[in-house]
Amino acid sequence: MIKFINTGKKYPNGFQALENINLEINDGEFVAIIGLSGAGKSTLLRTINKMNAATSGQVLVNDKDVSKLEGKELRELRRSIGMIFQSFNLVKRASVYKNVLAGRVAYHSTFKTLFGIFPEEDKIMALEALEKMGILDKAYERADRLSGGQQQRVALARALAQNPKIILADEPVASLDPITTLAVMDDFKRINRDYGITIVANMHHVDLAVKYADRIIGLQAGKLVYDGPSDAIDEEKLIQIYGRSLHADEVHGRVDAPKIKDVAGTSVFDKENKKEKKKSVKISDVEGE
Amino acid sequence: MLAAKTITLPSGKTVKQPFNKIIIPAAIAIAVFIVCSWVVLQNKGTLKLYEIGTIFKQLFSPTDYPAMNIHHTWGDYFGYLFSLEIREALGETLRMSFIGSIIGSVLCLPFAILCSQNIVKTKWIYVPMRFIINLVRTMPTMVMAVIAVSLIGMGALAGIIATSIFTFGIMTKMLYECIEALDMGPYEALQSCGANKTQAFFYSVFPQLLPTYLGYFIYNFEINVRTSIVLGYVGAGGLGVILQANMDSIYTRSRVGAILIMMFLLVLLMQAFTRYVRGKLQ
Repeated sequence: MIKFINTGKKYPNGFQALENINLEINDGEFVAIIGLSGAGKSTLLRTINKMNAATSGQVLVNDKDVSKLEGKELRELRRSIGMIFQSFNLVKRASVYKNVLAGRVAYHSTFKTLFGIFPEEDKIMALEALEKMGILDKAYERADRLSGGQQQRVALARALAQNPKIILADEPVASLDPITTLAVMDDFKRINRDYGITIVANMHHVDLAVKYADRIIGLQAGKLVYDGPSDAIDEEKLIQIYGRSLHADEVHGRVDAPKIKDVAGTSVFDKENKKEKKKSVKISDVEGE
Repeated sequence: MLAAKTITLPSGKTVKQPFNKIIIPAAIAIAVFIVCSWVVLQNKGTLKLYEIGTIFKQLFSPTDYPAMNIHHTWGDYFGYLFSLEIREALGETLRMSFIGSIIGSVLCLPFAILCSQNIVKTKWIYVPMRFIINLVRTMPTMVMAVIAVSLIGMGALAGIIATSIFTFGIMTKMLYECIEALDMGPYEALQSCGANKTQAFFYSVFPQLLPTYLGYFIYNFEINVRTSIVLGYVGAGGLGVILQANMDSIYTRSRVGAILIMMFLLVLLMQAFTRYVRGKLQ
């Protein structure tokens, strides 16, 4: 369980990124964090594994205060939490297999890992993680030979190889095309459902957040402004989070995503303007083919 | 030329083109060149162009000196070209520069890390480290060789020390600049996996660095071969030693020529080798 108690983060330059966050995320949940750029989504996510340390309050992961952890204890916590990045953060010239095996590094001594000595189980775990992501046949290719979607799957396999309880995803699909985006989000859903791994993801696409997550957390200027089930998100709540209502193309541009019509339906397609609607429908028709 | 130019577009708008500032340093450079040339030409000595032919003949063919009862044949010339003395000196030059390159480029690794702003985030570590490295780099290799020779005596060991320090200085600088330009995303990802700094470095930065590192190593090896030829001049072993020994007398000019041919071939070979290996590393 992840628990934020009055958590705050103030950067050294005085910028207050998070303010008084109180939040509880249960095991096995799929949570999406939405909000404008600079609202504190990344910061919130990164306080969970102390890639950014909270400066006030507490962040508890399984009842341990993360912001107080240091050295070995912190590394032990981190190895039980996978992290996915927008830019995949793979070693491009290394093989896919090596990239995934790197997820096991924290389980072994520095000395052994420097010489690349891994027990047989770890090698099997790495290959298994690739199998789970459906890219086992790419194991010995260079990571940069793969497409964006495949690279993000390698990153997911690296996270899975850590044998994590939680996966944090920082804009995991922001640099992927719409079709690949759905495939990768499906992978997240599958990992969440099949292995019971808690997923906390920052999302720019409201429709994807609504479609895939069980629960949505809305941030605005570092404050928690919404926390509730994803199907309860409506126009009014989006205004709360984003400060104004969203246009269709701002939601994602994919109006065929199942829930989006309920979500932004009223204002986006009827009130705002009708041109926008026609445009969006056209886009969806093209994508549907 | 110097005035700012104004262009009027058909629409009536005017665009003022900024003054091209490159003209000022260019003018200064030209002025400095003219002044320097003038000063140098004050002391021009006597140009003996006609001597070039003689010198080349003395260097690159066997020359007789009947007055000294010295008679050389082409057999002697080629005999010396492939003699044990030259072969040994050649081997020593190569050994010296290879060992020096290895020692220098292994030593530079930890220092390059300590100089990198993106890995060592503490200013009072990387700034003094860089200062030390710059200090090492300002010392001419020749001076280091002279010091090494006076400390441990003539021979290849002095040459190895000089080339090691030279390689160390230049490689550290090249590497830390390279590390700072690397993609730090994977490093962050490794830290998020729970890896410690050393592990994160060797699993994310090092693989990215490796081809560049090897490329720099080969490049430095080539430079070291060339430098260490001259190092022999101050007694630090290698081809330079026999070059210096034969330079004093006019009667051994053909030997100097033979050594020069070998140096030329060696440098040429090294360049071909470097190009081949660097091509493979891409």
